[in-house]
Amino acid sequence: MMEDKLDDLYGYVQERCLWQFFSRSWDRQENIDGVLGQAEAILSGNPPARGTPMEKLFYVDARTMVDDFRARFPWIRESSPEEVKQLMDGLKSRLVETVITKSTNRELKHHLY
Amino acid sequence: MPMVLLKCDKDIPEREKHIYLKAPNEDTREFLPIANAATIPGTLSERGCAFCGAKLVIGGVLKDTIQMIHGPLGCAYDTWHTKRYPTDNDHFNMKYVWSTDMKESHIVFGGEKRLEQSIHEAFDEMPGIKRMIVYTTCPTALIGDDIRAVVRKVMNERPDVDIFTVECPGFAGVSQSKGHHVLNIGWINDKVATMEKEITSEYTMNFIGDFNIQGDTQLLQTYWDRLGIQVIAHFTGNGTYDDLRCMQQAQLNVVNCARSSGYIANELKKRYGIPRLDIDSWGFNYMAEGIRKICAFFGIEEKGEALIAEEYARWKPKLDWYKARLKGKKMAIWTGGPRLWHWTKSVEDDLGVQVVAMSSKFGHEEDFEKVIARGQEGTYYIDDGNELEFFEILELVKPDVIFTGPRVGELIKKLHIPYVNGHAYHNGPYMGFEGFVNLARDMYNAVHNPIRHLAAIDIRDENPAELPEKIREAA
Repeated sequence: MMEDKLDDLYGYVQERCLWQFFSRSWDRQENIDGVLGQAEAILSGNPPARGTPMEKLFYVDARTMVDDFRARFPWIRESSPEEVKQLMDGLKSRLVETVITKSTNRELKHHLY
Repeated sequence: MPMVLLKCDKDIPEREKHIYLKAPNEDTREFLPIANAATIPGTLSERGCAFCGAKLVIGGVLKDTIQMIHGPLGCAYDTWHTKRYPTDNDHFNMKYVWSTDMKESHIVFGGEKRLEQSIHEAFDEMPGIKRMIVYTTCPTALIGDDIRAVVRKVMNERPDVDIFTVECPGFAGVSQSKGHHVLNIGWINDKVATMEKEITSEYTMNFIGDFNIQGDTQLLQTYWDRLGIQVIAHFTGNGTYDDLRCMQQAQLNVVNCARSSGYIANELKKRYGIPRLDIDSWGFNYMAEGIRKICAFFGIEEKGEALIAEEYARWKPKLDWYKARLKGKKMAIWTGGPRLWHWTKSVEDDLGVQVVAMSSKFGHEEDFEKVIARGQEGTYYIDDGNELEFFEILELVKPDVIFTGPRVGELIKKLHIPYVNGHAYHNGPYMGFEGFVNLARDMYNAVHNPIRHLAAIDIRDENPAELPEKIREAA
């Protein structure tokens, strides 16, 4: 069941979200951590941090994603904070594997932009 | 499905690593075309040169800047007027072309004096223009002309002018992509934060990677005006040299073309802490999402929703008219790189069009990660496609329309397949809500125009045995 839900979320992010494909591995990791962290807060009913420019950026990407999650996958509205955390951790793990650790993009680790 | 070796590539089997046919349950961990690699000898590449990437794509767009090309005439002429990026000051950039017109004697004895003389001549002839970009080209790079030294000398003699140098000869990289890179990094190193402009709004951003093709920038600017957002700099559509020197003042970098301009957005984030927000500006769904994100960043969500509602009310019925007539049509995209991933889902979601093959001239592996994640199964994804491959792919996917440039476009016209100019547009702008209706209209006109079928008739034959229905319509 959890795997099916993760498939839904992962499929959405792969198709819609440009932030997972930034130029370098550290940008991708920063975005995945930042956006999914904000998404977890929103989905759990906690106020997302919006104090710094980067927090605001992650918030707007997370908010769009969460709105679409709720529209496309109604089950997520019923998810408890514990389940939300599990889902976001699982999603993070899959994204990191696809776009960082197992990506064959030869430019990901170049130290310059 | 593994990577694909086309029949026409049997003698250059290395091409197999550049062509992918997406199958169910596969992703980019397993199959990612090699990209941004040297063109394989023996292919008929459609790529441009590194100098072209700097001048034609980015620098030449600016509306108040002399583009001094230090090289033979052809380097200037062939990167002028082949892209339609108008400006709101009577298209200064489209009207003039500048070259040092290097001849054999200058190559033998050096071209620095020639360059110095040309810079002075250009400023003297155009006393209202005080900004210039000087580009090196293959021959002037090979003979070692020190264009920076010349520019320093001129700037000392003419304190009212400012000149930027781009040292990116055509051979500097595998494609035009290298020129994008060199100009981006050169600009942030040399020119950003050398000027400040008046701030007129509490919301400020740079709009990066949009080159005002047939008015894209000017159309989007109407949105930012209505939202009360000050665009510090457009990189570089309808942009000015001095605005680009102020990019450090923005609160947000909004990036459309991440391939040509992602570098400067990354550096602005690293050096000045300005966040980078990537959006898609083509397509209703994507454009609305981009506006929502920008407005959420500034806390003006209600304004954004009002704008989207107005635009949808005005343009969506027109889009839907075309959608009803384009649904199920098959499209191929043979452009530079980013338009593959910008367009594949937007034409599918907004117009019901299926993208069946895509080829990128200068995209990097990052671009293929994006497009394969977004694109359909059963679609071909090609890096640096060559002419014979195009013919073979056409036989395999049989598209109804191809979005590409005039060179490939003229080729496929002979096969009686319609094309729409995917680089400079047929009748743009194509960005934004109105723009995507324009794109849909041009696609509709291309696909449903019966006249092209007349090209298939041999007019010497007085009694053709049977006229297909389309030809009868046209006749």
